[in-house]
Amino acid sequence: MPLILGIESSCDDLAAAVVRDGREILSSVVQSQDAVHAPYGGVVPELASRDHVRYLHVTVERALVRAAVSLEELDGIGVTSGPGLVGSLLVGLSFAKALAYRTGKPLLAVHHIEGHLASARLERDPLALPFVGFVVSGGHTALYRVETLGRIELLGQTRDDAAGEAFDKVAKRMGLGYPGGREVDRAAQEGDPRAFAFPRPMLRERGLEMSFSGLKTAVALQVARAEEDAGGALPRRVRADIAASFQEAMVDVLVTKARRALAATGLERIALVGGLAANRRLRARMTQLEGELGVEVRFPPTALCTDNAAMIAAVADHMLREGRVASLELEAFSRVPLEARPEGWS
Amino acid sequence: MSFIDSSSAEQTRRIGQRLGAGLRGGDVIGLGGELGAGKTCLVQGIARGLGVDPGLAVTSPTFTLVGEYPGRVCLRHADFYRVESYARLEDAGFDDLLDSDAVLVVEWPERFPQALPAERLDIRIALVSESERRLHVAGRGARATELARRFLEPCP
Repeated sequence: MPLILGIESSCDDLAAAVVRDGREILSSVVQSQDAVHAPYGGVVPELASRDHVRYLHVTVERALVRAAVSLEELDGIGVTSGPGLVGSLLVGLSFAKALAYRTGKPLLAVHHIEGHLASARLERDPLALPFVGFVVSGGHTALYRVETLGRIELLGQTRDDAAGEAFDKVAKRMGLGYPGGREVDRAAQEGDPRAFAFPRPMLRERGLEMSFSGLKTAVALQVARAEEDAGGALPRRVRADIAASFQEAMVDVLVTKARRALAATGLERIALVGGLAANRRLRARMTQLEGELGVEVRFPPTALCTDNAAMIAAVADHMLREGRVASLELEAFSRVPLEARPEGWS
Repeated sequence: MSFIDSSSAEQTRRIGQRLGAGLRGGDVIGLGGELGAGKTCLVQGIARGLGVDPGLAVTSPTFTLVGEYPGRVCLRHADFYRVESYARLEDAGFDDLLDSDAVLVVEWPERFPQALPAERLDIRIALVSESERRLHVAGRGARATELARRFLEPCP
């Protein structure tokens, strides 16, 4: 029953967690930075790493105390080594390396996306393998075939903007808050999803590739036109209609790609992970799909949808069992596909 | 500033590709234009022209701050969209990106023009309609002036 400390600092959230046996969360602390970032309408890279330096010790200590586990009792230390903002990653990675050096515990280097995919296994009743993993977040939008943790095949991904990023940028353009996935959803509640016919990019093409840049452009043009018509700021009603119509177009594309990934792989289980998986409209439409296709659709609990360290510890547990221990020379990387891992990555 | 018009995203990519084919290490491009103007689209073309592996998706660097793509010449694609202050840009080591043999393209350069070298190519994409764009260009310095001149030649 290995005890793993997980540390995650790849982007805007800093987190630490203790997980037993790769499944049981003894503690999971997330130093949420939503409030810090909100005034800028997005993540500010340097802001993220600066805050990480300030809060890391406290966050790790809190995770250990809440789990009632001492450093000596740990079997390993898992840390996100990429991809992400290099400054932010380095803070977590340097801390984890120092801790591993000091305690002599093995260091496990975890790919952030693999962590997200593992969140579907962090439950009392973990989603059975294999499954389709759909990562929908601010930095990533990709479909994977998850054979087991550590054996993952990319099926398709966005060619330009990430889905969460499109939500963030549209939200900012309309003067809504951050994160966009939640704020657009909120504004859309009073709107008509059929008010504007926005494009559904790449729906006609058969593959699993996605693209959200064109949709973002169409919405930006519509917002500009509506502002011109109003002779100033966007009227609340119009804003709600644009938000609802944009959200519906995004969800149409995501649900269609999910459906196709299930058909293409012949798998009967799918997990939606990443920050945008908390979007209520996306959840509702995926739940419809569940009934229609008779497949199992899993959304990890909202707390596990956003960046957290329990998911990192879950992957680290698996890596420890397979003896894939990282060297203390390990460096952070900002961007790398799951298939091509840099040197020092075991 | 002079301009060249594009009637589609694919033509914008071709304009970028032609520009990319003539670029060399150390060239810096400031790439402006509002949300949805097609900045990433032009950069995808530049990547093609630089001989970046077509299998590598050139995606928005908004979250990652900078994307790096090896090619005939390495392409670095940065984005100031989320950067809050010039001091923070300096802290993040932005200078390291300039001091290299790579081509550097910076989106939202107007946020911190002082971070960019005086000699550079400035491109600003304006939205004309749903699909049409006008690409304004200005070369600062002899090298960039020559690049701008070639950029303005009609593109199929």
